[in-house]
Amino acid sequence: MIKFHPTPDLIEQFVTGTLAPAESLMVSAHCDMCKYCQELVDEKTAEFAMDHLELENVVESYDPQFDLMLANITQQPAAEAPDVSLRKSSGIDAQSTSIELDGKTFELPKTLHRLIQKKGNWSSLVGKLWQAPVDMGYDGVANFIYMEKGGSVPEHTHRGSEMTLVINGEFSDGMNDYDSGDFIYLNGEHTHAPASEAAEGCLVFSIVDQPLHFTSGIARLLNPFSHLFFR
Amino acid sequence: MLVGIPLEHENSAVEPKECAVEMSDYLVKVAQDRCKASFARVFGFFAPRLRSYALKQLGNEALAMELVQDTMSNVWQKAHLFNAEKGSPSTWIFTIARNIRFDMLRKVQNRKEDICADDLWPVLCEQTPDANEKALDDQVTLEQIGHLFEDLPEKQKVVLEAIYIDGKSQQEIADELDIPLGTVKSRTRLALQRLKGMISDYD
Repeated sequence: MIKFHPTPDLIEQFVTGTLAPAESLMVSAHCDMCKYCQELVDEKTAEFAMDHLELENVVESYDPQFDLMLANITQQPAAEAPDVSLRKSSGIDAQSTSIELDGKTFELPKTLHRLIQKKGNWSSLVGKLWQAPVDMGYDGVANFIYMEKGGSVPEHTHRGSEMTLVINGEFSDGMNDYDSGDFIYLNGEHTHAPASEAAEGCLVFSIVDQPLHFTSGIARLLNPFSHLFFR
Repeated sequence: MLVGIPLEHENSAVEPKECAVEMSDYLVKVAQDRCKASFARVFGFFAPRLRSYALKQLGNEALAMELVQDTMSNVWQKAHLFNAEKGSPSTWIFTIARNIRFDMLRKVQNRKEDICADDLWPVLCEQTPDANEKALDDQVTLEQIGHLFEDLPEKQKVVLEAIYIDGKSQQEIADELDIPLGTVKSRTRLALQRLKGMISDYD
């Protein structure tokens, strides 16, 4: 059961297309998993479109530029239809939709499918924790993180923000318990130590905009180098 | 110039409900018959509204007109993808415009994120595969840093452990080990430099 959703504000910005790309990606992936938010997004989209493209009274006089534009557009041929065959022939449908680790297969939400080919190799962090970086083409840090049963991330806080989507499994971070589909948005005010006790472990997708700042134990050794870990 | 295709210049006369039905019918005709007259109706209604929306969003006349042009081109070329059961024409056209705007801003702002509108709102679904698959460097893991740490000279290790694991201040360490504060500082610096060097070599 999904308990943690993006705020109405995030949904609204996502719908209008004014939310930052990384945030949009996470909201979109959450909606793939959450029927409730998807319906909300559809509703808000229809509402916004209606407000701006139907009810809006355009008072300005008709611009002659439009006549030329219309003429140009209708000279263009129709797109090669149907698109399905186009996609098949170029092999896009062969794109995988899941990732594997340790013999387990995890089906990913649709929004994240294209990221699969950008995923690096799994590497082990402390003990029962695995991480596979995703090259997002910029300096922010995206990772798939897998916690085996009993695995945990050392207690840390964030200089920037951390967004996490639970893809499969359950974990707890000392503040809350999370389940598949949950959307978690944290900033520098929170200190937490995620850990999974689920028998099947837990796979999450996480984007941070600044390196983590570890707050306890041997992990503090990492702080001077955390920018090296997260490239 | 097109002859015999009247543009609908008076835009506000249509009621929303009727408008949706009417525009749906036109879009279907465009899809089936490439009907220019039907498209002219759709264009006449939506183009000025799109421009008004785009101007608010982009604040730039040229970009706004580009957005209208790209959006309406897609409507003309891909009318067959419109599905009245999934939503109204305004919703469909808005999502196309939003996607184009998203990718437009990405270009204009020179954003580096490799996230495109089709990932978020797959309304037209005509992605081309991205060939820029990059090999990723090996990552240094926490376990590995532990090994590197073990390789540090004993004196430096003691200082680092005291700082990062026991959480002591450099002054406390100096007092405890009975060495000058400056020595603690230089050992810390040397140790960190060394670790950094080892991590870089590891790459």
